[in-house]
Amino acid sequence: MTLVEFPAIAVATAACWGLGSLLQIPAKKSRPAASASWLLMTGGTALLAWFLASYWIALERPPLRTLGETRLWYATLIPVVGYLVEYRWKIGWLKYYCMGLATLFLGINVMNPDVFQKALMPALQSVWFVPHVVVYLVAYVLLAASAVAGWHNLWLKFRARSSKVSDSMSHYLALLGFVLLTFGLVFGALWAKEAWGHYWTWDPKETWAFISWLAYLGYLHLVARKTDVTVLQWYLGLAFIVLLVCWFGVNYLPSAQNSVHTYSG
Amino acid sequence: MQTSKSPLTPSSPPEGFGKAALFTLSAIIAGFAIEFLTSGNGITIPRWPANGLFLAAFASAIAAVGFGFRDHPVVGWMGGIPVGLSLIVGLALLSLVGGVLPQDPLPPGSMVSTLRLNGMFSSWPFAFVTLLFLFNLGLSLLWKTVPFRVANLQFILFHGGFWLALACGLAGTADLQRLIIPLYEGKESNVAYEMPSERPVHVPFSIYLNDFQIDEYVPQFALYDPATDQVIAEKAGMVPEVRKGARAVWPGIASATVTDFRSDALPDRDGNPLPSNGHKGVPFAKVRVEVPGQAPVERWINGDGPDIRPQFIPVGDYFIVIAPGAPKAFRSHVMIRSASGGHQPGVLEVNKPVDVLGWKLYQMGYDEKAGRWSTMSLVEAVNDPWLPAVYLGFFMIMAGNLLFFWKGVKKMEAA
Repeated sequence: MTLVEFPAIAVATAACWGLGSLLQIPAKKSRPAASASWLLMTGGTALLAWFLASYWIALERPPLRTLGETRLWYATLIPVVGYLVEYRWKIGWLKYYCMGLATLFLGINVMNPDVFQKALMPALQSVWFVPHVVVYLVAYVLLAASAVAGWHNLWLKFRARSSKVSDSMSHYLALLGFVLLTFGLVFGALWAKEAWGHYWTWDPKETWAFISWLAYLGYLHLVARKTDVTVLQWYLGLAFIVLLVCWFGVNYLPSAQNSVHTYSG
Repeated sequence: MQTSKSPLTPSSPPEGFGKAALFTLSAIIAGFAIEFLTSGNGITIPRWPANGLFLAAFASAIAAVGFGFRDHPVVGWMGGIPVGLSLIVGLALLSLVGGVLPQDPLPPGSMVSTLRLNGMFSSWPFAFVTLLFLFNLGLSLLWKTVPFRVANLQFILFHGGFWLALACGLAGTADLQRLIIPLYEGKESNVAYEMPSERPVHVPFSIYLNDFQIDEYVPQFALYDPATDQVIAEKAGMVPEVRKGARAVWPGIASATVTDFRSDALPDRDGNPLPSNGHKGVPFAKVRVEVPGQAPVERWINGDGPDIRPQFIPVGDYFIVIAPGAPKAFRSHVMIRSASGGHQPGVLEVNKPVDVLGWKLYQMGYDEKAGRWSTMSLVEAVNDPWLPAVYLGFFMIMAGNLLFFWKGVKKMEAA
């Protein structure tokens, strides 16, 4: 499967998510509607996962090289976080944000299509490639979900409807995200040593990865210091901006001109 | 919604953050003042053994202060979370400057170079904040380690690993050697060059380059627009590979079909390809081009090579060309000889460094103008005596991280 089929897959996926979300309204009173809703929502994600797998086979390399390819993974994985959160904490609203974000990323990919390119530069042909990028992507997905949850929790507080469960959920998502962010950072350093001779060169992408890591390290210290819950939700909501700079924004900064990570643009 | 035990405790006012922020800000201002007074010279980390002695003295000072004055309010504050957090923010802000501005040498005189904003990671403010951070981290580590409790293992591993990786990584930069060794096929060399000074250095081994090879991806045929210097993607969003039978459609412009293909050939007098037989051949493709409203054209085109110019088919304002395949892998078959007379064969390839006498040899580059016909290979020799300490730090961080994950999951299950 190539990028020719991608717009149709993206539309079909978004339609599944949209219809599934709409069916959640009658799902509260109707079991068949609830089943159909979940079938559609998970079916949309499964369709995207199937496209990703087929695209991987067609490319003959892991589709993890370009920003467009990472967005594809992101769009596939983030709704899964929403589904799991509902399963674990019985919190239903997060999945809508997650599917919304995923649809936004699919839309960006449809508007800015990648060129189908099998080539993988020698530096990326490493056993570290898949674990480093996948660990980072899952971390980004979890931290995006924690940021969205942070914003929603602030909205709930504004309406005097906050809940401890909801606050805890955003915290645990951030905690898991930080764990994976740390693994991603160290895996990247170990890979850099094998590929480029040194584990840390203050390349702009590395610098921003370090800043992102420090941002969430700061969050954990605020938690340890028993900081006000509202401040923590604000922090999570805003910290994700740093990750977005690390993911996309760094390519547009003046420092990016000498980055060895420009292949990901 | 259900209620549950929350990991986030009810609000308590942040204490000590104001003073801690002022403390960090003072360190940053002091650092920038030194940079200003020294015209942005930055900090030069001393080499071994001075860096090792400094680190040992610094660690001893942390231990002495941590054990000797543990109950002193200032020491308690220095090892506390507010100072740690403010220094984390300080590190992040200085890194942010370094992550936005290019970290390249600039002519002296500008404010950027005078404050060393273009060399942030070797600047005094960065050094001050890092040292204070290591001091804070060291104190908290000490107090969690003595007396030892298993419950603190995750904290000890994570924070200890971070201290080790950060301290040894920065102290070790002075002893890190990264040298470039240019090699030529059929020749031996033990001369390396320091960059960017290009000062020659003799390494304790020599390398004989038997053969340099490049594997390339399959060449592609593309519609090239000279006005924009861009390749126009065909309707499937692909730059198609050149294979017999391959077809590309550029809607509204043309379609092309490869009717014959030779991967490595040279032209005869009539321009028809013949096998190169080991000479510097290039890919040839016979392409049938159909332009709406015109008779089809079928012709051989070829890629660029050292002994041959590229041939293409004009289509209106565009050209159908053969684009060389991107490098897939490049490797040097070498023989490495040590000063004692020992020798070992090796293959240097990207991501596959070879260890020799405490050095790591990396396949770095080649003569890009010559492309796959390059007979020159650039090898980087790296010697980093502090690497084991830094890696120990990395593995401690990962072990602490695993325990953190485990504890987090258990808390989550209990919540």
